[in-house]
Order: sequence, then structure tokens, then C-alpha cells
Amino acid sequence: MSATSAAALFRRRRLKSVLWIGACGIFATAVAVILLLIMGYIVREGISAISIPFLTRLPRPTGISGGGVANGIVGTLIIVGIAALMAFPVGVLVGTYVAVYGHRRMSQWLSFLADVLAGVPSIAIGIYAYTLLVEPFRHFSAFSASFAFAVLMIPLVIRATEGAISIVPRELREAATALGAPEARVVLKILVVAARPGIITGLLLSLARVTGETAPLLFTAFGSQYWELRPGQPMAELSLQIFTYAISPYADWHAQAWGGALILILAVFVLSVLARLSVLFGREGRGHGGTA
Amino acid sequence: MAAEHIVKSYDEELGRLSKIIAEMGGLAESQLAAAVDAVSRRDSALALQVVEGDAKVDELERELNNLAIRLLALRQPMAIDLREIFVALKIGSDLERMCDYAANVAKRSIALSHTPPVQSVHSLPRMAHLALRLVKDVIDAYVAHDADKALQVWRSDEELDEMYASLFREFLTYMMEDARNIGTYTHLLFMAKNIERIGDHATNIAENLYYLVHGTALTEVRPKGDRTSLEVVAPESRVGR
Amino acid sequence: MDIENSPRAGMWLARVAVPAPGASALPPVQPEAVAPAAAEVRVKVDIRDVDFFYGKTQALKNINMSLRDRRVTAFIGPSGCGKSTLLRIVNRIYELYPNQTATGEVLVDGQNILASTFDLNAVRSKIGMVFQRPTPFPMSIYDNIAFGIRLYEKLPTSEMDNRVESALRRTALWDEVKDKLRQSGLSLSGGQQQRLCIARAIAVQPEVLLLDEPASALDPISTQRIEELIAELRPDYCIVIVTHNMQQAARCSDYTAFMYLGELIEFDETERMFTHPREKRTEDYITGRFG
Repeated sequence: MSATSAAALFRRRRLKSVLWIGACGIFATAVAVILLLIMGYIVREGISAISIPFLTRLPRPTGISGGGVANGIVGTLIIVGIAALMAFPVGVLVGTYVAVYGHRRMSQWLSFLADVLAGVPSIAIGIYAYTLLVEPFRHFSAFSASFAFAVLMIPLVIRATEGAISIVPRELREAATALGAPEARVVLKILVVAARPGIITGLLLSLARVTGETAPLLFTAFGSQYWELRPGQPMAELSLQIFTYAISPYADWHAQAWGGALILILAVFVLSVLARLSVLFGREGRGHGGTA
Repeated sequence: MAAEHIVKSYDEELGRLSKIIAEMGGLAESQLAAAVDAVSRRDSALALQVVEGDAKVDELERELNNLAIRLLALRQPMAIDLREIFVALKIGSDLERMCDYAANVAKRSIALSHTPPVQSVHSLPRMAHLALRLVKDVIDAYVAHDADKALQVWRSDEELDEMYASLFREFLTYMMEDARNIGTYTHLLFMAKNIERIGDHATNIAENLYYLVHGTALTEVRPKGDRTSLEVVAPESRVGR
Repeated sequence: MDIENSPRAGMWLARVAVPAPGASALPPVQPEAVAPAAAEVRVKVDIRDVDFFYGKTQALKNINMSLRDRRVTAFIGPSGCGKSTLLRIVNRIYELYPNQTATGEVLVDGQNILASTFDLNAVRSKIGMVFQRPTPFPMSIYDNIAFGIRLYEKLPTSEMDNRVESALRRTALWDEVKDKLRQSGLSLSGGQQQRLCIARAIAVQPEVLLLDEPASALDPISTQRIEELIAELRPDYCIVIVTHNMQQAARCSDYTAFMYLGELIEFDETERMFTHPREKRTEDYITGRFG
């Protein structure tokens, strides 16, 4: 190849590289800007609504100032908490099973079903919970909402657990087995423990995912204007409250909806950060370095 | 030699090693031939050439040693390669010694050319001729990695030993007959001894070659034709005569 | 020409009483201390007619080999030759994976561990294994060692402390870790992690140690420590080491097995294997020639 054609080739390559990197940069910036605009808008609109009474009081009818979303916040914690209690054990155990016995027909089915379940729209799951737990009792309930959330979370937890366990080095399982450890001990004391950071990340992300859900709540938790802590009763929930306030024609309720949205976003943000941190801490000291 | 190495430069270096051995072997032959020529032709100039030529062999041996060390350190040779290098080192020093003996014969021929010629100088070339054949054969065997041929050399050294034994007795007889001959025949005796030693080194090479090819040492006891070291001059036997 | 019959020689040469070369008067030369003959060392693991399959692919073909007690046996051969597979048969670790089957017999102290009636835990308590990548468990250094011991014994704390210490001392790790026994095993360097794994394996007092390329992920200094450790452990165990590093096999082992394409090509004393192997294929492999 002559020097000039080589130079031309390198020039072309440089140009191509600059164009592609430039395109990536532009779109990445665009996404970040849109995200920041949304966040900024919510913060601007919501910050004025947030106050101690907003966080500690019950809702009040429109026109009466000083209403809060305390019952919604507590309701969200209860509903998501119960959902987590149902989804975590099921998801982690199924995920572990799928990861450890990946070759079995059963786990291939489970894995497939988890994928299908993850793809079902949340509103459909809401209807399912409604049919199963609301209609037969002729009664909305927080528990039915938790159930719907749990169904949403399970495939996520399964996937996260399976992923975390399957990246544990094969030799770790072999090493424990070679010592003569029984299978249950190998799985629970070695594999799950080694995969713990990844599993925790998956759990936190699944929490973040359902905390923002509204659709299934419409037919299940239904919402409430009162302090209601019994899972068997209709219960207030933050995102549902935002929905109700936002579609109302009242300006003061609109402001409260922004405030609620800000709280919700902060909660999801905190969960995401925690998920990140758990990965970082999990990696620490785990250097499979080759040097002495 | 077996198939080529995956690393080509390794083959080149091993090839260079054999080439140096072959070159040293060639020099050993020509040095010995020239030295003996110098003796029978009383040619001091030729003898001087042989003495000076020894430096060339020393230089080749140094090159051989450096290359072998280099190969050992850098290639970590195994099996046939390891034997190849190890044996090359040993053969190298045998060849170097051979050339030293040839040079010594040449040196003595210079001294000898200043003394009156004696008849039995002619038995020396006969012996040298046999030694030359052993050297040539053993080098050929090395080049061909032919252990059988090496064994032949190893066995035919006996003949050389016997020749030396008879020369030894012959020269001793001349010395005893006429004390004025002692100087000349001492030189001739050392020359014969040198040539006999060259034969021994050829058998060393043959033994090493056998090890190189078969991986085991030659354990047979070599037939010896030279028992002169078991004999002494016993003046009383003369007195008794 | 014979001296005695030489007429002239008789006149002035006298034979000195020197014995003939064949019948030496010197004391008989003691033979060099050679490696004890194979028969003198007890066979610990006897591999007989072993075939191995990954699904339908045959990975080992009719392997017969005896591993000797208190000796180090090295398996060498190109990647995919089956040397690791063979190692993994000895403690039946391959059974973790479906579709892997072994036939034939592996006798450990005369008992066929491949028999389906044989208790797997009993096999594995006798046979320790160390892998290419260090595999410290996600727990403290102390618990890494104690994990294996607790599988078989219930010991009071002080006794457990002793067992942990002696395992760590045996692997020359004690001085390096005695002040941080509660730290994670993952906090150690690669070489230390590997020695921790060996300590963990010997803590359960096995009789056979299987080392699957134990030093191939380590730097040269750590590698030498592992090799020194192998030499230290040799008097008490039957050690098998799989290695890609022929010099390592040459340095650490008493016996070497060369495997190629699922077959055992040559099995002999290490010294013999690396100076003059019997098989052409072995020679080509260890000298780095085209196979």
C-alpha cells in the first residue's frame, strides 16, 4: 500500500470514528437532558408542596389547605412491604433452582414462564388480582394490591438471582463439593452467599420498579382518604393518590400531585443508588487477582 | 533428527550447534594429518602452521560453549534436545583435546627435525592413519546420528591401542640399544601416546553419540588393546640376561 | 598381541602384579541411589479400563494407570487431551454435570469408587482437590478452613483453632494471615488464596490431593511457593498435578503421564520421560515439535 493511500485510509477511519462517537455523544446528551428536564420540572413543581404537614397529615378536600399524603406514604410502604415478603423468598428460591439445576426440564420451564410473566402488562396483572382476590370477596384490599405487585416482582427477582448465581465461578461450587459438602450446603452457604450482592441489587431494583406502579392499584388497593393500616381493607397509596389528584380539575390537588411525584421519585432514586452501592460493596475485596 | 520444532529459531540454533561440531571434527582431522605429515617430511613450517591452527579450534569451542549455555538457559530443552546439547558440549571438549594432541605432535616434530632421522619414524604415520579413520568415522556417525557406526569406532579403538603397545615396546627397545637415541624416541613415544589418546577421545565421542541416540549410557566394557600402563621396565631382568 | 606370548617382551619386561581390568580388586561400586522401583511404592489409586463420555463424545479411552502413595504424579498433554477429565474422575466431581459418564474402575485403597453403591462423601473426604483459579469461599479466612472440618467433625472452639492453625502452618500461610483470620478470604493475593485453598483441602485430612493446574493463574514467585508446598506435602499424600507447564511437571513430580487425544500415551518416571521418553509422540510434545 502506498503512503498516500494509507494516509487517505487513516483519514477516512478517523472521520468515521469522529462521526460515530459524535452521534453517540449527541444522543446520550439528549437523553440525559430530557431526564434532567423531567426531574428538574418535578422538583420545581413539587418542592413547594412539600412540607411537614404534607408528609404527616391526611388528605383534605379541595379548597381546604393543609392536606397531606401521609396515609399514601404509609400505604405504599405496607403494600410494597407485603409484596416483598411474598416475592423475595419465592423469587430467590426459584432463581436459585433455575441457576443451579439449569439443565433440568423443570427449570427451563420456570425460566420461560418467568420471561413470559415479566412481559405481561402490569394492568393485566391488576385485573388478574382483581378477579382472584377482589371480586370473590366483593371488597377492594391492600393485600390484593400486594399480591399484584408480588406477581410483578417475582420474574424480576428470579432473573436477578439466576444471573447473580450463574456468574459465580463454576470452580467455587466444585471446590465445595470436592470437600464433600452436601448439595444443600453448597448451594446455600457458598453459591447464594457468593451471589448475595447481585441478588440484593435485583431485590432493590424490583422494589423500585413496583413502587412506581399505578395501574394494578386501580382495581385492588383502590385508595382511601383515611388512615387505614389493615391489609384487608382498601388502602391509600402514593402513586394512586398522585393519579387521582392529577386527573382532578383542582389546582391545589395538582400541586399536591407534584409533591407526591417528587417523593416517589426520590424513593426510587434512593433504591437505585442503594442497588448500585450493593454491587460496588459486593465487588470490593473480590479481586480474583493473579499476583502475590 | 526428529520433526521440526514449532519455534523455528530453535531448530536453527540446534543446527548451528551440529555445524560447529562438524567443523571442529574436520579441523581435528586436518590438524592431525598435517602434524603427522610434518613429522615424516621433517617440515617445520607445516608443523608451525598446525601449532598456530590450534587457536581456531579453541575459538570454535568457545562459540560452542556459549551457544550451548544460551540454548540451555533460553530454551529449557527436554529429551532429545537436552541430550543433543549436553552431548555437543562433551564432544566439543573431546575434539578440542584431540586438536591439542595434534598440536603437541606438531611441536615435537619441530624438535625432532633437529635430530638425525631414525628409521622407525615410519611406523608413526601408520598409527596416525588409523586414528584419522576413527576420527573421521566418528564425526560422520555424529552427523548422521548413527549409533551403530559409533559402536564400530568404539570397538576399533582396540586396534589403535595394540598398535601403540607394539610401538611402545619397539621404541623402548631402540632406546635401550643405544642411549643416544633416547631423546628422539622419547619424542616419538609421546607422539604415539598423543595419537593413542586421540583414539580414546574418539571412543568418548562414540559413547556420547550412543547416549544421544539411545538415551542410555553404553555399559559394555570396552576391549582394551593397550596394557603398557601395566608394564614397567625392570632393569634386573636385563641384568639377569 | 598378547604380552606374555611376545618373545621379545619376556626378555626385559616383567609383568607387575596388577589385576586384570575385569576382576577389579577395588570394593564393588555401590550403585547410585536410584528412585525406588515402581513395585516398592504402594499403589494408592488404581485406574482400570476407564472410559469417559461427554454426552456421546468419548473423552477418555481405556485409561489404565496406577497412582502411587507418597509420590507426585503429573499429567501433561495438550489442551483437550483429557488430563483434567481424568483428574475429575478420581473424586467423581464430574457428576455435578449431567451427561458426563465414566465407566471402568477407579480403586482407591482397593475399593472401586466409581461403583454407584459407593458413598460419595466418603470418597471426597479422602480426596482433596484444588483448582486452576483460586476458589476461596465468600467467608473469612478462618471459616474457609473450618468449613470443610465442620462437615465431618464437631469440634470445640479451641480444638478447631488448632486445626485451622496447623492447616495454615502446613501451607506456610500462618505467619501471613494470623492477624487477619476474620477477614474475607477474598482479601488475600492470588498466590495466598491458592495456598488457602490447599490448606482448606488438607484440613479435612485427605489421603489424595488432586491439583488441577494449581499455579497456572499465578506469578512465578507464587508458583514456586506452590511447588515448594507440593514438595513439603509429598511425604504424606498421594499427589496428582495436572499442568500445562512441562518444566513444572519435571520439577515437582516423580511420575509423569503424557496424554493425547483422550489416550494415555506414556506413563513413566519423570526423569525418564524428560530425558529419553519411549514414545515418539511424547518426545515431540515435550520438545515442542509438530505432533
